Amino acid sequence: MSLSDRTGAVPFSEDLEDLYENAPCGYASIDPTGRLIRANHTFCVWTGFDAQEILGKRIGELLSVASRIFYETHFAPLLRIQGFCNEAAFDFLKKDGTKFPVIANAAERRRHDGSLQVTRLVILLATDRRQYERDLLHARDTAERGSKDVADLNVALEERIAKAAAEQLRAEHGLLAEIEVSELREQFIAVLGHDLRNPLAAITGGARLLAKEQLSLRGQEILSLLNDSARRMSGLIDNVLDFARGRLGGGIGLSLSREPLEPLLQQVVAELQVARHEAIIQTHYAISEPVECDRVRLGQLVSNLLGNAITHGAGDEPIDLDARSGAGQFELSVSNRGLPISDETMANLFQPFFRGKVRHNQRGLGLGLHIASEIAKAHQGSLTVSSTQEQTCFTLRMPSRQTP
Amino acid sequence: MDMTSLEIRNNIKLLGQGPQTIMFAHGFGCDQNMWNMVAQAFEGRFRVVLFDLVGHGRSDLAAFDPGKYSSLAGYADDVIEIGRHLNLRNAIFVGHSVSAMIGVLASIREPDMFENLVLVGPSPRYVNDAGYIGGFTQDDIEDLLQSLAENHLGWSAAMAPAIMGNPDRPELAVELTNSFCRTDPAIAKHFARVTFTSDNRDDLPRVKARTLILQCKDDIIASEQVGDYVHRNVAGSRLVVLDATGHCPNLSAPQQVIDAINEFV
Repeated sequence: MSLSDRTGAVPFSEDLEDLYENAPCGYASIDPTGRLIRANHTFCVWTGFDAQEILGKRIGELLSVASRIFYETHFAPLLRIQGFCNEAAFDFLKKDGTKFPVIANAAERRRHDGSLQVTRLVILLATDRRQYERDLLHARDTAERGSKDVADLNVALEERIAKAAAEQLRAEHGLLAEIEVSELREQFIAVLGHDLRNPLAAITGGARLLAKEQLSLRGQEILSLLNDSARRMSGLIDNVLDFARGRLGGGIGLSLSREPLEPLLQQVVAELQVARHEAIIQTHYAISEPVECDRVRLGQLVSNLLGNAITHGAGDEPIDLDARSGAGQFELSVSNRGLPISDETMANLFQPFFRGKVRHNQRGLGLGLHIASEIAKAHQGSLTVSSTQEQTCFTLRMPSRQTP
Repeated sequence: MDMTSLEIRNNIKLLGQGPQTIMFAHGFGCDQNMWNMVAQAFEGRFRVVLFDLVGHGRSDLAAFDPGKYSSLAGYADDVIEIGRHLNLRNAIFVGHSVSAMIGVLASIREPDMFENLVLVGPSPRYVNDAGYIGGFTQDDIEDLLQSLAENHLGWSAAMAPAIMGNPDRPELAVELTNSFCRTDPAIAKHFARVTFTSDNRDDLPRVKARTLILQCKDDIIASEQVGDYVHRNVAGSRLVVLDATGHCPNLSAPQQVIDAINEFV
């Protein structure tokens, strides 16, 4: 049984004119130039215009500026391309200028040739929905910002961790390398100290025994060469050991004494003359106040400088050894004639294992001057060099008294 | 970048044949489909180039670099890059809306590449300034950015991967409603900001290309006043006011646009 039968009323067949005018949505029809040619009563009520006022208005005039741009750049083109466009959010303007948010659908009615006859717009009030969407957008933006902050923080943290780990690794590598170097150094010293010195001692001892034998003239010459070589080899081993201990280890240790220096210097000169009897060494001593030093080390320094002067100097010219003390200073210089030292060589002279341009008569490891310089430093002094056409002169300057 | 990569990046379409090339660039809002009703009229006599600005239509969204595209110059670089790969000489660049200024920038940099400019609804600056009426205030532009966020036109996070991941499979997007004007909201907002805060007034006097300006009546994006400004500042330019309303005569009055371009070239 139908409703009308029960109530006895006339069945209601929808009033289309009323449906259009008072529909629960706004209707607006727009001509191809964008002007309103008809709008329903609902839309007029929402906008505040009366039915006559609203006709002929451009749709853009009824929209907020932002919505106007969106309509022109997105909505209208889409309508032309696909004939319809749905679910666009617009802000319409009331007569008094206030906005009201809507959702709109639109469709084109086209002529047979595809040209546009009219665009029909359906407008739904969407105040709450639009507000809700705005809230959602806002929440999403906040969440995105938050997650971006977290992501940035993560990246920053990861970078810091990676950096720290790399540093840690480098430090460990460095430490390992240092340990390796230190182990190598100790082995190096042990090899030189024992494995080289012991056989050398055997050679020297053997030579000493041989000297007591009846030898031919040729045998005596060979023995002399043997002794020279053994002495030189002993000197090289001393230098290398000093380098290993001093340069790589904790510096050169000193055992200080204030005994007279002159006898020590004389002894060094005499020893060198024995080995290198062709050399002419002129000595000048003016040691007016006692000098506090490690006598073995100072002897080594002088021996290195004299040896260097004999090797590089002009063979037939004398070498001068000057030593003087006074006013708290001790100064010792060794000068030789001969070719000056080039600037390039000068810059590296005190570097270990530096030998300048190798000459056929040059001997040694290139450690002598380096060790001499280290000995000067250990005595709170310095070793300097000057070289001219006339002479090359190495000078040690140090305080007469060592301060702890 | 080789041609295939460029074709993918800018979704380049080559149509027709001819000794001269005519390149159509879409404006703010949609993609190369904006030229559907116009471009085909030139296929008989010209080689026609259609493309999407990166971030729009079926361009490769992965190529969207906010830094590069933080000014119109980044888009002009792309136009020149496409021009180089196609060996363009004495070509015609037709730019709608913001692409009018992209064409201006490209032709200043490569005068031999684009010797002819057709500017459809151009505006060198949208925001009002002292002694200049662009049509909008800074607040209007902020409202627009908000409005774009609310109008995703069928873009949703769930759908984005299908679009972004398959630039070589257009069929995936073809049936999707509103696809022509669908843009990643973040990119749309970025592009809107770049477009509506651009100021290319100083570039106009540097244009050496033959220039045609097509102006609509009642264009709220680029008013007749702005069209006049462009006309006055591009030496030797020709201004044609179309019997059309709105900002998109390429859709609302395509025949007039075709006739005007034909008369010019």
